[in-house]
Amino acid sequence: MNKKKQTLSQWLNKNSTAGVVCTLPFIIGFALFMIVPMGMSLYYAFCDYNIISPPTFSGLKNFQRMLTDTTFWTTLRVTFKFAFISVPLKLLFALIVALLLFKGTKMTGIYRAMYYLPSIIGGSVAVAVLWKRMFSQNGSINAILMALGVIDSPVSWLGNTSTALWTLIILAVWQFGSSMLIFLSALKQIPTTLYEAARVDGANGRKQFFRITLPLITPNIHFNLVMQLINGFLAFTQCYIITQGKPLNSTLLYTVYMYQQSFEFGSAGYGAAMAWVMLLLIGLITLILFATRKLWVYDGGF
Amino acid sequence: MKRKLIAAMAATTALTAMAGCYASAETTLTFAWWGNQTRTERTQAVLDMYAEENEGITFDTQTADYNDYWTKLATSAAGNALPELIQMDYTYVDQYADNGLLIDLTPYVESGVLDVSNISEDILAAGTVDGQLVAICNGVNAPSLLYNKTITDELGIEINDNMTLDEFMDIARQIYEETGIKTDLPYEAADNWLPYILRSEDIVDMFTDDGLNVEDSSAFERFFEIYQIGAEEGWIIGADIHAELTSNSVEESPLIYYSSESTQSWCAFFWSNQLSAMTEAAPEDMEIGITTWPSDDPVKSDFLKPSQFFSVTRDAGENEEEAVKVLNYIINSVEANEILLGERGVPATSVVAEAISPLLDEAGQTVTAFINDVVTPNSSTISAAVPEGASEVFDYANQLVDMVLYGQMDAAEAAESLFTEGNSIMSR
Repeated sequence: MNKKKQTLSQWLNKNSTAGVVCTLPFIIGFALFMIVPMGMSLYYAFCDYNIISPPTFSGLKNFQRMLTDTTFWTTLRVTFKFAFISVPLKLLFALIVALLLFKGTKMTGIYRAMYYLPSIIGGSVAVAVLWKRMFSQNGSINAILMALGVIDSPVSWLGNTSTALWTLIILAVWQFGSSMLIFLSALKQIPTTLYEAARVDGANGRKQFFRITLPLITPNIHFNLVMQLINGFLAFTQCYIITQGKPLNSTLLYTVYMYQQSFEFGSAGYGAAMAWVMLLLIGLITLILFATRKLWVYDGGF
Repeated sequence: MKRKLIAAMAATTALTAMAGCYASAETTLTFAWWGNQTRTERTQAVLDMYAEENEGITFDTQTADYNDYWTKLATSAAGNALPELIQMDYTYVDQYADNGLLIDLTPYVESGVLDVSNISEDILAAGTVDGQLVAICNGVNAPSLLYNKTITDELGIEINDNMTLDEFMDIARQIYEETGIKTDLPYEAADNWLPYILRSEDIVDMFTDDGLNVEDSSAFERFFEIYQIGAEEGWIIGADIHAELTSNSVEESPLIYYSSESTQSWCAFFWSNQLSAMTEAAPEDMEIGITTWPSDDPVKSDFLKPSQFFSVTRDAGENEEEAVKVLNYIINSVEANEILLGERGVPATSVVAEAISPLLDEAGQTVTAFINDVVTPNSSTISAAVPEGASEVFDYANQLVDMVLYGQMDAAEAAESLFTEGNSIMSR
């Protein structure tokens, strides 16, 4: 046995060392800015904590409070409604636009960029403010609808309990760009031979879509559904800027209520508890989506 | 060659380190406040002046709007990183003092660093918590109804100070009938407006430590009734219009920001120091008047609010004395206040208030006269600061106002809900 002791430079030149060193910035960042705050928030969830004085342990009190807090249940209902309406609509929209843009022409690149733009700017405060003005009584939506003769007098879109949430849903649907790109790349993966064979067998466009296209992009639909549902449940900016939950809490999203409890009502402990309940809910929904995956997702390859 | 390079680098590093040492001889004070653009410009100018006169002092300033300011302050408190000097409000001073976040200024008053000899006992008392002087007031305000004097003059309506709610509603009806212009009652502002009405019913403090300081729900009925009457008779600016506005902002008040008569109001509920900002934001041909908020018993309801306090925080550490010196400068220096010009309210230091009064613009003069001649002789002592949990009760009251405005509840039902839910929130 003449195995020499490793020198420092040899140790440094090993692949595994290089890998660890190179990922260290991420690992440190992840631990410091994700794991530590999550641990703290888990602790606060079991505390009475108003941010400016030190937390005191209070057991399950925060979780018990949710059971009787009617606003909590209202926000949960609103958030589910928001996510389960906006996400399917967004995916449908993304798929339709992806199909339209699939056939390449000279302008396709420009159109793709144009339709992707809302995804980049849509979540910003500026667009939220713009949205608020567009849907106000003297805003452009009312002006256009009145010019077209759809309505006779301005509608208070934001002030009406039955329409206010829809302004937020439309804003969310408008940000379909990233789903659209994923669908586009999926469509390109489908071998053209399948369509040729179908045409030879006399299948029309509709049949081709439902028998070939749709089944073959189900993995991408699944992926988009998971990602967008998570986004949907965590939506904050739109509600916080545009409606602040008004009117009558009909647009109060879960995350905004969580923020109010934490920072405006001085119940950061309760806010932390709400955050963990949301995490569990999202986890559960994701779990269900993955459990039902084999029932509707085609993984067989082309 | 390589060695020379290393030597050069080492020398540079050493020099930089020394420069760093030198820089740390300077004191940087962080100063945070909330408020509008005018306030920010004037305060910044005063701090620049102070920094010029006092070598080694530099300022790092932080500003935000009122709500964000408190969020930011609370999070910095949790991180032990409060700014040395902060603007404080009457609503929060107890909470911050009780948590030991504000330092006791008494030793500095005794040693003469902080001069409070020209500030009245009442105003000092407002910044005193448990015998400790934790905040110094730099402006006195009063609730003020700002109104469109151009319209009331045109219609020949005389607006009297200290009007009752019934007189107010009569004016609202008359203006609505003759012009279609509506009335903007306080919206998302139950924290100010509800206690104001309760005071006229002899309920000076709305809360006990663990509940509401009222016998039954009837105490709240008058508050909701006004909204109900307004909604039924049509003269109130409804919740649907407010859904499109930033509540309680001067610039988006229906008094000056509207698209037609149905979204315009002839009045707005604000504070006396906001008259200047409102006058500036108003269209040129609109004259803005100022009077008291209406109440069934104006003298019992109305009060002077020592607002816009300044405090030095626990996290000031070794900069504590420097921060107190700045505070002393702001409240006592005539030159500084010639720039600030009472934008935060009438200065608490009598000498300063007198010195700057000839320099005030028209709005400033009006406000001073309003505070001294109208409110001071016709008001009662301010209510105690509200306890923790109150903000959630007021938020709930705001939601109930919406229910009344949308006709989903009547005043009695809303009062009943506020009584039950309010007690349950406070007992938590």
